[in-house]
Amino acid sequence: MFGKLLKYDFRSMWKQFAFIWPAALALALVNRFTISSLEGSSTVGETTAGVAMLIYVSILIAMFIIAVIFVIQRFYKGLLGDEGYLMHTLPVRSWQLVGSKLLCAVITTAVNVVVAIFSIFLIIPWNHADFQEIIRAFQYLFSHWDINATYGVLGIVESILFMLVSFATGFLQLYLAMSVGHLFNKNRVAMSVIAFIAVNTVVGILLNTASPAMEHVFSAITAGTAGMSLYLRSICIAIVGELILSAIYFVGTEYILRNKLNLE
Amino acid sequence: MNEQLVTCTALTKRYGNKLALDRVNLELGRGRIVGLLGPNGSGKTTLIKILCGLLQPSGGAVLVDGQTVGPYTKSIISYLPDRMYFADWMKATDLFDLFADFYKDFDRTRAMNMCAALGVTPSDRLKSMSKGTKEKVQLVLVMARKAQLYLLDEPIAGVDPAARDFILSTILTNYNEEGTVLISTHLISDIEKVLDEAIFLKNGQITLHDTVDNIREREGKSVDALFRDIFRAHNMEGGAF
Repeated sequence: MFGKLLKYDFRSMWKQFAFIWPAALALALVNRFTISSLEGSSTVGETTAGVAMLIYVSILIAMFIIAVIFVIQRFYKGLLGDEGYLMHTLPVRSWQLVGSKLLCAVITTAVNVVVAIFSIFLIIPWNHADFQEIIRAFQYLFSHWDINATYGVLGIVESILFMLVSFATGFLQLYLAMSVGHLFNKNRVAMSVIAFIAVNTVVGILLNTASPAMEHVFSAITAGTAGMSLYLRSICIAIVGELILSAIYFVGTEYILRNKLNLE
Repeated sequence: MNEQLVTCTALTKRYGNKLALDRVNLELGRGRIVGLLGPNGSGKTTLIKILCGLLQPSGGAVLVDGQTVGPYTKSIISYLPDRMYFADWMKATDLFDLFADFYKDFDRTRAMNMCAALGVTPSDRLKSMSKGTKEKVQLVLVMARKAQLYLLDEPIAGVDPAARDFILSTILTNYNEEGTVLISTHLISDIEKVLDEAIFLKNGQITLHDTVDNIREREGKSVDALFRDIFRAHNMEGGAF
């Protein structure tokens, strides 16, 4: 059942990106030509390149803003609005409804990041000196593989994981705020905004209060490490921290949807 | 299979300090068409929403086919809400896909045939459909299932009298005869002829639950006339007129 929910969440989410992802990549390609034609070009050429770059950057920014808006909208309309009448009467459990929305949101944002990075590679001409430099560095890395290279790869994997978990925590905080707002009979949107700020404040206060204890744990875990291995362990701790927050938000959201649902 | 399809025991729902359902005891058997009758605000929608799992009761218990409300009871209930519940970007055929994915008892061929009979083009986008056509699509989705319990919340409230007969005949020709249909409405004269049982709901309490034949025999008048008597008296007591 979870897979089927995901299927419909992806369909409604990606339909919205069917235009923006190809547009971002196409604009990157346009910039590749306007930039490479800049050398010794006229003012007209420079203006064209400038405008093309501006549009490209705008669409990248828009891509991420739209993603957040859709994440909010898919949850609010899909589970707390009229569509909720359909979703909450499907023979599935509340945690599956929330989990499916969350996974869809995280994967969509991750694809956004991939599209953004890939588009940058599209802009740089492949015979560009810097680009060649990067390729040579990688070639060197693979031919002289050692412990530092392993650390490097691990560091990248951990950083990507950290990024994904941070997205999840952020989205779950939004979900929790909307669910808390839904508990009120009036001004649900305004109450959701207030709930979001309240959750932020509470977490901030808790982290502040707990920080001496956390520093203790942190130094115990990272004792005797330096450089790359210190970085690896620190990121690990950060991932665990985000996961704990995510779990709390998830449980809270699921509890409200299961027990306190009151669609208008 | 449990003998009773629905059992409510001292079912209570409170919104703040307002009682929407007040210690309701109700048993519904199988293979009946039951009218859930009462004026606006009497608790009809609240009762239906609790049965299909959209609301949690404040007190008491509900069993559907012997089970508490959850994925199993949702899989045997076919629910028609009093509003549109689909996303605009979908086509009716997308919704058929969704229902076929989630409900084992959904019969796609029957859904397509019902669309043809109701004059709905299922490949059209819902966004481009009129309100009446969307309501028909929703009715098709609900009635193309071979469910144990159909919960129809005001299925004829928003349409003209000609369309009411159309909707009622669609319900009657398509429901699973081993299942039970619970229809909530305040337009009793239109559906009285199809009902086996009637439930009168007043201020969150069941004031009457009997077969339509018994009611007619005992009271010497139609359910509609009885309903008007009871609730007109209520209004005068309240000084509304």
